[in-house]
Amino acid sequence: MTGAQLIELIVGGIAIGAIYGLIGLGFSMIIRATGIFHFAQGEVMMLGAMFGLSTERLLPLPFPALLAVGMIGGGVAAIVIELVVYRTLRLRRVPLMNIVIATIGMSILLQNGSLQVWGSEPMVYPKLFATAVYHVGPATLSPQSVWIVVLGIALVVLLQAFLKFTRTGLALQAAAQDSETAQLMGINLTRCTALTFGLAGAMAGAAGVLLGSLFFASFDMGFLPGIKAFVAATLGGLGSIGGALLGGIVFGLIETFSARWLSSGYRDAVGMGMLIVILLAFPQGLIGLFKRSR
Amino acid sequence: MTALLETNRLSRRFGGLVAIDDINIIINEGEVRGLIGPNGAGKTTLLNLIGGQIAPSSGHIFFAGRELSRERPDRRAALGVRRTFQNLRLFREMTVLENVMVGLHANTHAEALAALLGTRQQRTEENWMFEESARALALVGLSDRANNVASALAYGHRRLLEIARAVVAGPRLLLLDEPAAGLNLTESAQLVGLIRKIAVGGIAIILVEHHMDVVMNACTNITVLNYGRLLAEGTATEIRENADVIEAYLGYDEVEDGIEPKTNKLFPRR
Amino acid sequence: MRLVIGASHAIERRIGLFLTILLLAAAPLVYGQSYFLHIVSLAMISAIAALGMQLVLGFAGQLSLGQAAFFGIGAYTSALLTKTLGVPFPIAFLAAGIIAAISSLALAPITRLTGVYLGVATLGFTIIIHLVLLNEEWLTGGSFGILSIPWPNIGPYVLKGDRAIYYLCLVVMVATYVGISRIVASRFGRALRAIMLDEEAARASGINVTLYKSKCFVIAALVTGFAGSLFAGHARYLNPNDFTFWKSIEILIMVTVGGLGSLPGAVLGAFVVVLLPEYLRALDQWRLVIYGALLIVLMGTGTGGIVGLIALTARWFTEGVALSSRRIASRTRRAQL
Repeated sequence: MTGAQLIELIVGGIAIGAIYGLIGLGFSMIIRATGIFHFAQGEVMMLGAMFGLSTERLLPLPFPALLAVGMIGGGVAAIVIELVVYRTLRLRRVPLMNIVIATIGMSILLQNGSLQVWGSEPMVYPKLFATAVYHVGPATLSPQSVWIVVLGIALVVLLQAFLKFTRTGLALQAAAQDSETAQLMGINLTRCTALTFGLAGAMAGAAGVLLGSLFFASFDMGFLPGIKAFVAATLGGLGSIGGALLGGIVFGLIETFSARWLSSGYRDAVGMGMLIVILLAFPQGLIGLFKRSR
Repeated sequence: MTALLETNRLSRRFGGLVAIDDINIIINEGEVRGLIGPNGAGKTTLLNLIGGQIAPSSGHIFFAGRELSRERPDRRAALGVRRTFQNLRLFREMTVLENVMVGLHANTHAEALAALLGTRQQRTEENWMFEESARALALVGLSDRANNVASALAYGHRRLLEIARAVVAGPRLLLLDEPAAGLNLTESAQLVGLIRKIAVGGIAIILVEHHMDVVMNACTNITVLNYGRLLAEGTATEIRENADVIEAYLGYDEVEDGIEPKTNKLFPRR
Repeated sequence: MRLVIGASHAIERRIGLFLTILLLAAAPLVYGQSYFLHIVSLAMISAIAALGMQLVLGFAGQLSLGQAAFFGIGAYTSALLTKTLGVPFPIAFLAAGIIAAISSLALAPITRLTGVYLGVATLGFTIIIHLVLLNEEWLTGGSFGILSIPWPNIGPYVLKGDRAIYYLCLVVMVATYVGISRIVASRFGRALRAIMLDEEAARASGINVTLYKSKCFVIAALVTGFAGSLFAGHARYLNPNDFTFWKSIEILIMVTVGGLGSLPGAVLGAFVVVLLPEYLRALDQWRLVIYGALLIVLMGTGTGGIVGLIALTARWFTEGVALSSRRIASRTRRAQL
């Protein structure tokens, strides 16, 4: 393998990894705040992609606007799902297994609802940049990949800044760590949970637009990437946003490199194999391992 | 005579917090050992260490001469160490009788295949489990509620059910974690009677409890913990008058303040 | 609200079982059409898989999304043995179950996991098996699948035609139902329910939780493998796309819709999921959307499913009758005063 190919693979791996990270941090945020594994997180990503695409078909907007639309769409969808469905289930104090199965139901609902609305044909996404390619040393990089990496990391950094430096962000963190005490401090738990879902949804929506621009958009684009994003988040350390990004990038690199050597038919098997290994060997993730060794 | 249960330099840390520090205790057959101490003294942690719910950070636990520290909780149960839980862990959607029958799981062997074929072993075991469970329910006084769902029981009866489930297999050591919590005076007195009956039947008991009247009346010996360490050990009378114990619970030295320790309200005489 | 298993209603259950068997056995004499036999056979095959799932989810409380993998392993094993090696069907049938059960042992380390993590891990297993079925063309025919699977044969008798297959499926389904009922009512079943209700307490009572979880997975895989074998003999054509995670989710829906913790519910749920779309052709497009919504709604109202609903209605009815007769009695008394 030449140096050029190596660089291209690395960038490609980090790009897809950043996308997984964006979706995966949503898993982490939601699990930390509510204890729920949001099975439908991948579908929220798909919705972001679809909203972006539909908007583009109505009025051709520049890419940043599409990204914003996808993020808003994903965020709003997630908030609606939380307030209408999940919150109702929590108020009814149903057993945890019920909530898990309900999120599976939500995933089915969103996928097939989206199938009805947008049809089964995969849809081509407008590209981030038309033709200009970047040259880094001997490698030729598509601007897609480079900008996905940049945008992905930027979004995560912005999110972390929001959580650490704004009042609302601190409230979200407090609510996630100890909901009872947070309420005693006057924090509105319903709003915080909804906002958590909204942020997770917005990040996923952004990931949807980015993923769409990398390949294409379709009603079932959320399922497998959703599971992989969960693997990525667990790899990094479930509950940590930075961990989700780290896990995503590592996962993306592993997947991209192994796709080169394994037959393409088993590409997804790599992720699933990793999932099982991680859950069994080190469920606390890389960050958890790092903490332990200190 | 080998002790039934012996801990040797048993310690348990949670991060920086030392919950149990270098505990050496010996429980003999036929004892009813009270385990008391202020909140946070490590009583439940010690019980969890013996029961196997958590592993020690260092030290050993010996049960009938056998190293227990590496055994899973279900193995310890099979060996004869049974327990109840502070927060009640019943099988709420099973009937009272079924709850107790689960307690006999380790004493029976019929697996799925035997159940499928309806072998004689399976049928004999079911009958045996039924009879033993009925006996345990009679002991605690829940016979007439055998077919009620556990979640329908009154609180006091739930506590009794958990005890029935723990004793049905005839354990050698019974760990009771605050069995009197939430019980009124009558129920507490009945509990004392039950504990005595169980002890007479040959089961050694470790009783973690805050209700001092239950402790004083049911226990032969008492171990007092404070901040994870052994503070005092002795008979009920000795502990009642021990100045260190009084100070640990009340926080001041009664003798220095001119108060007669023998009239203290914390350990009323009966 | 969960259904409580006990010695209560034992006679009603026996009668219900007997009547159901009678109904299903007599149906082909009334509705002889090939299509009807075909679809009800499929429902019965699905019911067998659903019974396995009920054991794992409804009684042991483990969310397994891996049933499709065992279904596929069983189907392909049976198909390959009968078609390529000419093995008689009864042996292929047993082999299908046994190999599926053995493959579930590969999941044994996963049974340590709980809740959603177990679900996702088993889902990953399903995806891996599906990819194997899709990629290993030399063995499974890849995306072309396996065609011309021979009719099942028992000794010298070839079970040819929809009616023969129908009765074969009926016999296996009834046998599975009776078998799983016995297992559930035994010490083994109690241990599973204890694990579902409180793992910690189950351990403290002497149950080796990990071992029992593995055992119940093995039994479920065995049963699902049998179902797969029947599926191969029934459809006589296998395609990897029948064994994706969607199949696992479909089986989950069957058990949930029927009622978690109820064996009749598993069968009922399977029949509903397989038959209803056939009678609601107009809504076929929206079928999965409805299932998704149904799953959510059902989970909001407890785990009783259809069977729970029936039980509720029955109780409301009998209490209502008792209530109204009391009212009539008191009114008559007042009138007499």
